[in-house]
Amino acid sequence: MISLIETNQIILLLLGVGLFISTMEYMKKIQIFSPTGLLSWNVMQIRWEKSSPDSFLKPLFNLFNEKGLAIIFGLRCLIIFALLFFPLETTYGWILVGLLGLSLLASSMITFYGSDGSDQMNMLIIITLFLCHFPLAQGSYLATLGLWFIGLQTCLSYTVAGIAKLASAEWRASTAIKDVFSTRTYGSRWAAVFLKKHPAVNVFLCWNVMIMETLFPLCLILPFNYALVFIIWGFLFHLLTAVIMGLNSFFWSFIATYPALFYINHQIQWHLF
Amino acid sequence: MFTINTIYESAVTLIFGIWFLLTILCQFRDTRMSAFIRNTIDIFGLIPLWTFFAPNPGKSDYHLLYRDKIDEQTNGEWLEVDITEERSFWSWCWNPEKRDKKILSDVIQNLVSSIPYYKSANGYDLLMFSMPYLIVLHAVSHCDCKRPSTQRQFMLAETSGYLQETSPAVILLSVFHQI
Repeated sequence: MISLIETNQIILLLLGVGLFISTMEYMKKIQIFSPTGLLSWNVMQIRWEKSSPDSFLKPLFNLFNEKGLAIIFGLRCLIIFALLFFPLETTYGWILVGLLGLSLLASSMITFYGSDGSDQMNMLIIITLFLCHFPLAQGSYLATLGLWFIGLQTCLSYTVAGIAKLASAEWRASTAIKDVFSTRTYGSRWAAVFLKKHPAVNVFLCWNVMIMETLFPLCLILPFNYALVFIIWGFLFHLLTAVIMGLNSFFWSFIATYPALFYINHQIQWHLF
Repeated sequence: MFTINTIYESAVTLIFGIWFLLTILCQFRDTRMSAFIRNTIDIFGLIPLWTFFAPNPGKSDYHLLYRDKIDEQTNGEWLEVDITEERSFWSWCWNPEKRDKKILSDVIQNLVSSIPYYKSANGYDLLMFSMPYLIVLHAVSHCDCKRPSTQRQFMLAETSGYLQETSPAVILLSVFHQI
């Protein structure tokens, strides 16, 4: 069985790859934070001034322009690179993860619009790793707790998505995937045309997603050979959504949680049998 | 006996417990509690909403258009802010364009959902003071001007993408704004 330290390190590595790509994408689109951009701080600051005019976070606001955010994103890339040389278990590794978390929290203040579930999963993992690897804490309790938290949040994410789809008339009518694939935002022309020609495939895909997402937490308790069905399904699901829908960051942030699922499954099996 | 290690472990356990509980509560997005947690407590967006593409699967492309007033009787042509462009072959691994699209999609969804809260005796005038409205207005007011105009109007519209199974529809037509 894979060790606790290795599991956490693999999670960090997979997360790092996705976070690096996602940060470079923000760098490419840095003009959205310019004074004339969609997320200009001239407008976005209204949200903060309304809720907390004398916030202790105010000094940070000076960074929310093209230049400041380019520095934050650049430093984030350097931290990710440095984490290749400083494992999570070391004090330097822990400090780097903390800095990575801070950079994510800072940028989340201006990316209120435009961030997605993968950004939230990234933040959740980084904060968990930071809290659970405090250098002065002894024993393996916190590292194990962190993996359970990441694993349970992952299962919750799939189940909530599955139940919400089951509650939707459009998903039950098996038109949802064709409709999503027909958009330019999340779809592809060839996929939309293919699903229009083959409605049975659309029915299969819609119900496959609804059932597998809803039942996903079973991967924690089933014997590993059966749990592997859910893990492989999840891998293919995220791969296909990256290829067809362009949701590349979801692939990395959710696959990063799979070592935690693997660890929990083995721990449960070990206690049961 | 309590040691620092025990206290720290208990504190982290409590944090994760509360975080997980709040995440479950916030999945019911239309409840008052969910709105309170999201708008008041969760300033960094740490409480995820996991209902991806459900219950509304998101079957529209959104478009942002604007036009200028030439004189009292004439308006210029509608011009589109180039956001909903087709994805490239490499978008499975490198897709920076998704950010603009997601921002516009979030802003429009937020705008549409806030319309009922901004209804007053004068209609929907107060909507102009809402955050999503200001974001869109700010973005279009900085788009290139082909003629020296001081007044600009914007339109949010939706289309059904490649299959064109439904007709394009207007979501919101603004008044003319001084720019």
